[in-house]
Amino acid sequence: MTGGALDGVRVLDFTWVGAGSLTTRLLADHGADVIKVESRSHLDSLRTSPPFAGGRRDGVDRSGYFAERNTSKRSICLNLRTDEGRALARRLAARSDVVANNFRPGVMERFGLGYDALHAEDPSLIYLSMSMQGGTGPHSEYLGYGLTIGALVGLHDLTGLPDRYPCGTGTNYPDHVPNPGHAAFAVLAALRHRRRTGEGQLIDVAQTEPTLAGLGPTLLRYLRDDLVEQRTGNHHDGYVFHGVLPCAGDDRWLAVSAEDEAQWTALCETLGGTPDPERTVTRDAYELMATLQARGVAAAIVQDVADLVERDPQLAHRDHWLRMEHAVMGECLYGAPPFRLSATPGGPRSAAPLLGEHTATVLHELLGLPPDEIAALEAQEILW
Amino acid sequence: MPERALEGLRVVDLSGPMGNYCGKLFADLGADVVLVEPPGGTALRRDPTAFAYHNANKRSVVAELGDALVAALAADADVLIETERPGRLAEAGLGWAMLAEANPALVTVSITPFGQTGPFAQFASSDLVCLALGGLLALTGYADGPPVRIAGDQSYVMGSLYGAVAGMMAVLHAEATGEGQHVDVSLQECVATALENAPQFYDLEGIVRGRPTGMQRQAGTGLYACADGYVYLYVGGLASGRFWTRLVSWLVEEGVDGAEELEQPEWLERPFLETPAAKATFGAIFGAFAAARSKAELYEQAQGRGIPLSPVATTADVAASPQLRHRGFFLDTPWGVSVGAPYLLSATPWSLDAPAPALGADTDAVRAEIGVAR
Repeated sequence: MTGGALDGVRVLDFTWVGAGSLTTRLLADHGADVIKVESRSHLDSLRTSPPFAGGRRDGVDRSGYFAERNTSKRSICLNLRTDEGRALARRLAARSDVVANNFRPGVMERFGLGYDALHAEDPSLIYLSMSMQGGTGPHSEYLGYGLTIGALVGLHDLTGLPDRYPCGTGTNYPDHVPNPGHAAFAVLAALRHRRRTGEGQLIDVAQTEPTLAGLGPTLLRYLRDDLVEQRTGNHHDGYVFHGVLPCAGDDRWLAVSAEDEAQWTALCETLGGTPDPERTVTRDAYELMATLQARGVAAAIVQDVADLVERDPQLAHRDHWLRMEHAVMGECLYGAPPFRLSATPGGPRSAAPLLGEHTATVLHELLGLPPDEIAALEAQEILW
Repeated sequence: MPERALEGLRVVDLSGPMGNYCGKLFADLGADVVLVEPPGGTALRRDPTAFAYHNANKRSVVAELGDALVAALAADADVLIETERPGRLAEAGLGWAMLAEANPALVTVSITPFGQTGPFAQFASSDLVCLALGGLLALTGYADGPPVRIAGDQSYVMGSLYGAVAGMMAVLHAEATGEGQHVDVSLQECVATALENAPQFYDLEGIVRGRPTGMQRQAGTGLYACADGYVYLYVGGLASGRFWTRLVSWLVEEGVDGAEELEQPEWLERPFLETPAAKATFGAIFGAFAAARSKAELYEQAQGRGIPLSPVATTADVAASPQLRHRGFFLDTPWGVSVGAPYLLSATPWSLDAPAPALGADTDAVRAEIGVAR
């Protein structure tokens, strides 16, 4: 294992489901010791969400959905509904640099693990809260998931064909990139401040605002010019052509954009006329992609996930897809982080942890609990 | 004024659209970000609104890549952000290895469509092409129609964001050890991190996910038309039963025709909810209820009952959100209303201090600071 940029940083990780777990994965893959606090009494719902290894749910350790979001982490079981469980959590927090959660506002406070309580004990603690709409305000108790956030922030309405219902992304997009990316950046900035001054802080991320920040120009057009942008399909202002064309085969498409007259001319010459579906529907998408790229036109086959995993030479060149051995799932597929660091490469160090796989190790290592006490706490369903 | 989180960091921003948001993330937390533009101005200025958003808090200097000023800025900087075709900077004498010789602690963040090397590295590209080769385009759109791109040049947002995350990791390492490095971001790979569980569905169950069929994913989850647009309801998903029970109680209380039928136990089973018959039945019952109510009414009433439902908001709806207004997400600045912080940091707040610079506004000042004459 080559050194990661975050070696020596410890994160006590109460996050679960999507956005929170992906945030701490970014840190874990680059060297941070991320201790995921779980409980048999309140499972991360992704542990029981498909897909499953071999298509069989069979327990709580076979979900690929969970696995992808939790590489390089350690998992401990701690029942926060018990006084002893909460006391152990506070002791672990005191040994950590960052505490992260994506519960609703008030949940961590009820466990005695709120920012004020932990900050009073350790003013250098960085405390990341990623609730749905932020820690305070009239809608702070509202519920949501990635798909409802995508709707709430306007992304769903903006995505789709103008003459049909808005299709949105078809995924929980805010969970996957905008929320974890912004939250991780904020934590890293706070780590820099802490190293310089010794001061920790509260980072309050509402799971709406990062996606909105990514739509800044669209919002400004309304705020400053009263323009409510409408969905425009694949059209893009400023391009001569910007669209998707059908090709030969089942659900095969070519994405093409032509920025200037030279590219437009090359496109029309290649197709034997203007880019209309009847000219492309019998053509091979890979062949068109190669011909157009050779002429400097931005063209690409619309790859499905099988193309990405099995056939894409660029992702293979970058070693994007990794296979790691998991004690229950066997060898399975993980995606690498989308960047390469020349001096501190990082990358996933281990497959997702089994539920509570590291409970005994972590409690012994960080709190010095002897094996018999750990066994007793397990029997009392505190380490549970 | 508290110290800023990124105070003292000097960032040279050579980027075009793929990386323009990256520099903003640094600038808004206190880094000194210098946008370097060619004499005619960066192409970003063709869209003044996008330029204004992505370049607030930055300074602007005019210089060609080959100008001694750029090399001098890089020699004195902590971070350099660039989005040129791989090889282009080296041709201009600004390759990573050359820059590192003069400034071993420098972090160079290269954000490109496919990364620095590999069979696609020199391909012509665009947001659409990155979405296509990254796999998200195949998931977005209509099962009975074409793939449709996610709005807002999101592959560029993703590239900028991951560039900032990786760049900040490298800054922490450089400040601790004096060792800089090259950060090589691939937009294609950034997009491939947004495929949800599709790679695992393929690997573990051999299923290739496609674009959604129809407005409902399953009964209770999906898009439903209402009096003034659409709402997105999410009661048949991960957290299952309790949301369904709350929704059905609401419909029964409101005397909605057919609502009692939804109390039957089969409605708590995911395989049943996915059947066309279940979708049709639920769609008719909830659809009639929603059709008589507005997005805002449905949102408030559903959330009041602990049911995950959101309006399919327009930007006008977003701008009116009492929650965002409470959080101060929209800022009144002397240069107009602005979009605010993506995160609230208690000790080192995000802040917007200056509008996007006029072309070359800071050229003289920066030349004087660096000591490179015209």
